[in-house]
Amino acid sequence: MTDPDTILLWGLPSDPPIAAVADPLRRAGCPVILLDQDGVLDTEMTLNVARNVEGVLYLEDERLDLSMVKSVYLRPYDSRELPSVAGAAENGAALSHALAVQDMMLSWSELAPALVLNRPSHMAANNSKPYQALWLESLGFKIPPTLITTDPEAALQFWRRHGTVIYKSVSGVRSIVSRVSDAHTARFDDIASCPTQFQQYIEGTEYRIHVIGDTVIASEILSAADDYRYSAEPAKMLACELPGAVAARCRRVARSMKLSVAGLDCKRTRDGSWYCFEVNPSPGFTYFEQATGQPIADAIAQLLMAGPPALQWDPARRETPRLR
Amino acid sequence: MIIILASRWDSTAEAVAARWAHRSVEVMTPQDLCVSGWRQHLGACESDTSSSDVAVVQRRLLPQREITGVLTRLPWVTDGEVIEVAAHDRGYVATEMTAFLLFWLSRLKCPVLNRPTPTCLSGPYWRAEKWVHVAARAGIPVQAARRDTQSESAANALPPTTSVAVTVIGRHIFGDAHPELLAQSRRLSELAEVALLTVRFADAERGAAFLGADTFSSLDDERFKEAALEYLCKTPAANQ
Repeated sequence: MTDPDTILLWGLPSDPPIAAVADPLRRAGCPVILLDQDGVLDTEMTLNVARNVEGVLYLEDERLDLSMVKSVYLRPYDSRELPSVAGAAENGAALSHALAVQDMMLSWSELAPALVLNRPSHMAANNSKPYQALWLESLGFKIPPTLITTDPEAALQFWRRHGTVIYKSVSGVRSIVSRVSDAHTARFDDIASCPTQFQQYIEGTEYRIHVIGDTVIASEILSAADDYRYSAEPAKMLACELPGAVAARCRRVARSMKLSVAGLDCKRTRDGSWYCFEVNPSPGFTYFEQATGQPIADAIAQLLMAGPPALQWDPARRETPRLR
Repeated sequence: MIIILASRWDSTAEAVAARWAHRSVEVMTPQDLCVSGWRQHLGACESDTSSSDVAVVQRRLLPQREITGVLTRLPWVTDGEVIEVAAHDRGYVATEMTAFLLFWLSRLKCPVLNRPTPTCLSGPYWRAEKWVHVAARAGIPVQAARRDTQSESAANALPPTTSVAVTVIGRHIFGDAHPELLAQSRRLSELAEVALLTVRFADAERGAAFLGADTFSSLDDERFKEAALEYLCKTPAANQ
């Protein structure tokens, strides 16, 4: 029989954030079930939705009544990339089964009355950086001058006007942020084949700010690289306190996006202006936790143990802000 | 100019454009995103230049301020829309184009049918379970959505052909069904925040079970085309 306070983790056991969150939950004696995504071929599921949302997961030797789940932490990978599924035939039974389980879990995650960190549709805004930028700007963060174009000449003019310019993907696909240099001009004609995003480079100090419920945990990043994640010289990170107004703004962003856990990539300029470049709805926080010793996994575990807020999710509530 | 954003393979888009030929109308496809000329500004200082934003339609540059309405018939850009791109890059390019179109459509001030969301370029992408759940919570009788990985059943499968369709387009509601079902369809369009919605019920009688809904209408009925045009020709405030 499923424990009524079950906390469900969905992802790969080897994924650092999943492992980091599982640890304090187990130490606290919580009933934790890790739905190992790589065991998908041995997983069966039923879903029955009307006014109530009912679902059952059948694992190898376990039956999990999903209505007993109090909280969920999700970090699923694309089913096609799972070791147990990779290489499966495109129209074969194995891939079809894996995709069916994934889709049913995502559907349940949208509707479950449990606390879900985070609901898939609420994470989707991260799939478009300029869309997210409109949102962040409406909430008081500065956005660098940005041009998205298929016009090589417009890109050149923008570069000349702003001096130092970086380019990066428009979508949420991870890309290395790079400064435009003379070496790139030979490839500028490629811009015509797909909209490309150029942004004025902003000088300043970088911050990763994790918002977990009402808790704000900020790390200052010391790096000379354009993209510290890919720097040959490892970035130095320090735990830090944010000005109260900035912390409040970060909470407002997360709340507005209905993200109970979020990782904001920000920069503070010398004149004290705060820019926000991206809100990661499924942050790989262990990178920062290991460097600073900040208790990010513990904060997520506390949130999961507390369960859903008294105010239950209402599907009729507005999904997206008006950005016009 | 009214823009119909559609798949390059969408013959209905061409038919709608032909029907609206008495207006200035063009079909935009993802192929137009592979043409030099798009310019979109945002962020500090760039708001001054946003009046010079440019779109590309039918391979021709179009000042963005000349766009007066957009009908979106494309949920997202797929690999199949960008077959001119090298095979190993198609997935990336399609994802980039979808992300760009979400941004572009989101900040247009003119009427857009349906407005995009982060999950779909035309209204929200809701699975069958969510439509049923939202309808049930709104007090509408529903047929439960059931799925089981051990059977072939799929909740997203099309409803039975004997079902009755009601289509909401702006202030109009079309469908040969009991007025209560028409009102329920209107309520669902409000909950989903869409102006274009096709709703299916088990039959046309009062109390018929809700089966599912779709934010894409075939627009095969001439009345649908006229209602959509009326919506797109109104001022944004009139469509609130």
